[in-house]
Amino acid sequence: MRLLPSGTFHESYRSDHALWQWRTGFTRVALAAAAVALVGLLPSYSSGYVLGVANVLGYTILSALGVQLLIGYCGQVTLGHAAFIAVGAYGTGIGILQYGLPYPVALAVGALLAGGWSVLFGLPSARTKGFYLIMTTMAAQFVTVDFVIAQYVSQIGGVAFSLPPGTIRMGTLVVDTERETYYLMLILVALCTAGVINLFRTRIGRAWIAIRDNDVAAEALGVNIFRYKLLAFFVAGVLGGIAGGFWVSANYGLTPEDYTLAWSLWLVGVILIGGVGSVHGVFFGAAFLTVILEVLKALVFTLADAYPMLNDRFLFVKEMAFGVAIIGFLLYQPRGLAYRWQQIKTYFKLWPFGY
Amino acid sequence: METLIQLVVTGVMVGSIYALVALGWTIIYKCSGVLNLAMGELTLIGAYVCLQLYLWGVPFPLAVAGTLVVGFVLGLVVERLALRPMIGQPILSIIMITVGLAFLFRALVGFIWGTDTRVFEPRVFPMDPIRLGPIVVGQVFLWSFAAALVLLVAFVAFFQYSRWGLMMQATADDEMAALSVGISARRVYALAWALAFMAAGVGGTLLGNINGLNVSVGFLGILVLPAVVLGGLNSIPGAIIGGIIIGVLQNLSGGYLDRLVPGGVKDIAPFVFMVVILMFRPYGLWGWEKIERV
Repeated sequence: MRLLPSGTFHESYRSDHALWQWRTGFTRVALAAAAVALVGLLPSYSSGYVLGVANVLGYTILSALGVQLLIGYCGQVTLGHAAFIAVGAYGTGIGILQYGLPYPVALAVGALLAGGWSVLFGLPSARTKGFYLIMTTMAAQFVTVDFVIAQYVSQIGGVAFSLPPGTIRMGTLVVDTERETYYLMLILVALCTAGVINLFRTRIGRAWIAIRDNDVAAEALGVNIFRYKLLAFFVAGVLGGIAGGFWVSANYGLTPEDYTLAWSLWLVGVILIGGVGSVHGVFFGAAFLTVILEVLKALVFTLADAYPMLNDRFLFVKEMAFGVAIIGFLLYQPRGLAYRWQQIKTYFKLWPFGY
Repeated sequence: METLIQLVVTGVMVGSIYALVALGWTIIYKCSGVLNLAMGELTLIGAYVCLQLYLWGVPFPLAVAGTLVVGFVLGLVVERLALRPMIGQPILSIIMITVGLAFLFRALVGFIWGTDTRVFEPRVFPMDPIRLGPIVVGQVFLWSFAAALVLLVAFVAFFQYSRWGLMMQATADDEMAALSVGISARRVYALAWALAFMAAGVGGTLLGNINGLNVSVGFLGILVLPAVVLGGLNSIPGAIIGGIIIGVLQNLSGGYLDRLVPGGVKDIAPFVFMVVILMFRPYGLWGWEKIERV
């Protein structure tokens, strides 16, 4: 439920669908400006480590946006999203290395490739749903990453894909430090989020939500289910491709190991923890998991003197934490962090009258 | 021709292990409707428990029995703690809770037993292969095949003739009717998980005897999915036949297609096969045909 401050009410559909539904008071503007400054100036007051974590966070957000779109808004459960991220990453990498494209062009090409690839594996959604669709998306994961990419694509132009410094360039600007990657990440996250939020307010977004809520009713209302499902797969694939293309710039290298089934499942975990069907949820979930991971790393690092085995087995500590987090959230906070955030906001809006 | 027979025979034998694990998967799905993605990790836990018992000097049959007991108890506990609160939740939540369990179990196994490949030492089954006419089969395959067959028969007999098995069948068939004649659906769910853990544990142990045991044995859990899709999700004979077919298919594609399309054809052939089945016959060989608008 959306609570509006006293005195704000809608007189037209236009304002009812508006992104900003409140009058902008001084406090809000000041808070927003402070947040923008805090995020925008991060490189100038923090270490490379923080920037690295921020880049991982941005990558997780970009990757999970597409998953949220498919699962949370169109109701098509996907457990193979890493495949589309991989296609985007390899598309971008090959574009830069083999054809010498400038980075933005290569990124766009990679994203479109990923979108097309995603539509290909979205085709079975015409005939299947629920569990069977999950199986096809998992098949997409294995066919794409473990077979096509690991066996064939990654052999193009030598065995290892690594991008020498200076190859990722936009005009005269070369992206080769963490700081530049960070700003690139900010721009991409801002663009994709804005795009997705606005898409959800249009006819297309409403059609997706209708399909998610009740596909038969949606069809009765004149929504072409198949076309809109494919469109959802396409947009989600493009978003995944952008995420993959970004990761190329952050990593300077490409390996199929980055795009395993575990990463697909991790992304679904991100949106579950954040809240299914909420763009806020993507941010909350990504932040939660990324921060938890770093805290664990720090913890293992301090404990490693006493228990050296912890160092080798950090991967398992991480997986254990992820498993426990998912189970815990599903059992005790099934609507995710976004719902909790909503409740906190409601509390303050209603304060001091809690009803 | 001999290669073909050889490949088919080994395929059937490995497939019988898949069939065992697929059976466990189907029991859970049939009784409680849970789509379990943690099957591979259940096999891991069982296999490592058995390995540990064996390394402690417990004779192999007793170690297997111990695995069965541990699997039974773990199944009950997991069902009670993680699955029961999820009854009635959307499909995504239930799948993801099994994914959470999968991560947790795999991490526990990796954390306790490490990542190196472990073998049953001393060897449980003699190493020298047996000649059956033109084909050569390792004894470990034969014994695994026999063990898997015995267990499959035991499970099927349990469903057909025992009181509990009939209760499970009744619940799977019509839960409301089963409840109204006094069958406790909760106990049936718990029992389903316990049985699945047992089947998976033995499957993992047998596979560990063939190839040695490491975390990648858990891939079996993913491989089971094409088998159950082929068999039709809720058909027990379907799961058994599906498992065997997937085993044969895997061996054949490894033997023949690998030359044409080098790379891991063996690992992905079952999934390609599965997509094809899904396109043309989504309810598998013997699944319940549900006409549903998509």
